[in-house]
Amino acid sequence: MDPESSLVSALRELAREQGVRPTDEDLEGVLGFLQRILPELEELERLLPEDATP
Amino acid sequence: MTLTRLAERLRDGELSPREAVQHYLDRIEAHRDLNAYISVRAEQALAEADAAVLAFSRGPLWGVPVAVKDVIDVEGTRTTAASEILRDNVAERDAEVVANLRAAGAIVLGKLNLHEFAYGASTTSPHFGPAHNPWAPDRIAGGSSGGSGVAVAAQLAAGTLGTDTAGSIRIPAAFCGVTGLRPSTGLVSNDGVVPVSWTFDAVGPLAQTAEECSLILQAIAPDFRPEPADGELRVGLVTTLLDQAEPAVAAVVEEAASELEAERVAAPMLGHAGLIQQLVMLPDAAAAHLPWLRERLPDYGADVRARLLAGLLLPATAYPTGLRARRWLADQVAPLFERYDVLAAPAMPIVAPPIGEDPVELRGERTPYRLTVIPFNSPASCLGLPAASVPCGFVDGLPVGLALIGRGGADAAVLRAAEGFQQLTDWHEQRPAIAADAI
Repeated sequence: MDPESSLVSALRELAREQGVRPTDEDLEGVLGFLQRILPELEELERLLPEDATP
Repeated sequence: MTLTRLAERLRDGELSPREAVQHYLDRIEAHRDLNAYISVRAEQALAEADAAVLAFSRGPLWGVPVAVKDVIDVEGTRTTAASEILRDNVAERDAEVVANLRAAGAIVLGKLNLHEFAYGASTTSPHFGPAHNPWAPDRIAGGSSGGSGVAVAAQLAAGTLGTDTAGSIRIPAAFCGVTGLRPSTGLVSNDGVVPVSWTFDAVGPLAQTAEECSLILQAIAPDFRPEPADGELRVGLVTTLLDQAEPAVAAVVEEAASELEAERVAAPMLGHAGLIQQLVMLPDAAAAHLPWLRERLPDYGADVRARLLAGLLLPATAYPTGLRARRWLADQVAPLFERYDVLAAPAMPIVAPPIGEDPVELRGERTPYRLTVIPFNSPASCLGLPAASVPCGFVDGLPVGLALIGRGGADAAVLRAAEGFQQLTDWHEQRPAIAADAI
């Protein structure tokens, strides 16, 4: 299984654990979104002062 | 005719509530092709107009025909949210804002088209069809409160309510050439409104002028008090956003800001707002929709389904990081509001694109439409700030909106700036040809 397929499988499992059954096409879209946003999230986390609170 | 003038004529007996309601019902029927309305309450509105004449007390909006976005409950009328899932959902009681409008004397004509579940900025529901821009019917009205913008621009209601989670009042106001206000978060009740995000949702008015928006806001927000128009407002023009807009749009906005004697100011920190808002809004929306995600997933349109699933599957740490970053961003932005009472910027970097066109052209690059929306609208939504879009000119015959953003709770200052701008200019008086025959 290629890495992308295994990530889609992991997302499918995570969705199913919450009672939601998306299609593979749906999950590929989510994966693309996560691959864009997660590096931005990591950058934001680095930018935030440690004592920043909600 | 403006809402203010209409209210005066009703009060003076020059026009009866029934005549006013019938006028708008006739216009709604004549312009059905704009697809502004999902439900029209023709019989109920006429009956309510007749009952208004017998009313003991007459509020400031007595007999004024208005309409509300179809996520806002009106007793006995369906609230569809332009979705298949809620197609037959009939509200058992009025939303608090509707009850407040009625208490002020307004008559609700019907429920307005929107982006499915108010979760997108085009108003092109696959279930109820697109709302058409009155300035160019082959173009989108913006969204998610697209029908609310169309109804004001085409004079299919004297004023409307929309909701704004990440620009959903300001975008249709800009694209349709009307005035819209996203109030400070929490100023207006969300009771009886289908949620997108409990953190960011705000109900607000759209009308021809800021003065009318103020009148509607006074009706729906009992705690809101307008402020007298004395003293200068310090206005900062956010060059960080101006530089990201289409050059022709930026030129119109810059000219408009000069009317307010705006000082140019860079605000690069606002560039974080889009991401921060996504980190909180996406999980909020997924949580609100979880029962339907489980039972009705195929019934969502593709774009809304994709956003909801993204929220479902985002790592859990994203949410607290978003909340921490929001507080941090508020601290970064606070000094700006020590220097300025109001920040000005383009409400949108482009004019309304053709229906179905995505990506769109922005500064020579093909850009997904949603990415044109986020940088310009998330700063105010993310921080809960009041923000208006006022008409400020045209590019290629299509309206351009000037965004005016105030500090949290300073809704009156934003409206004052907008009213001041509208006293100096007449862009808000420009109407599409389709509205030329309105009263």
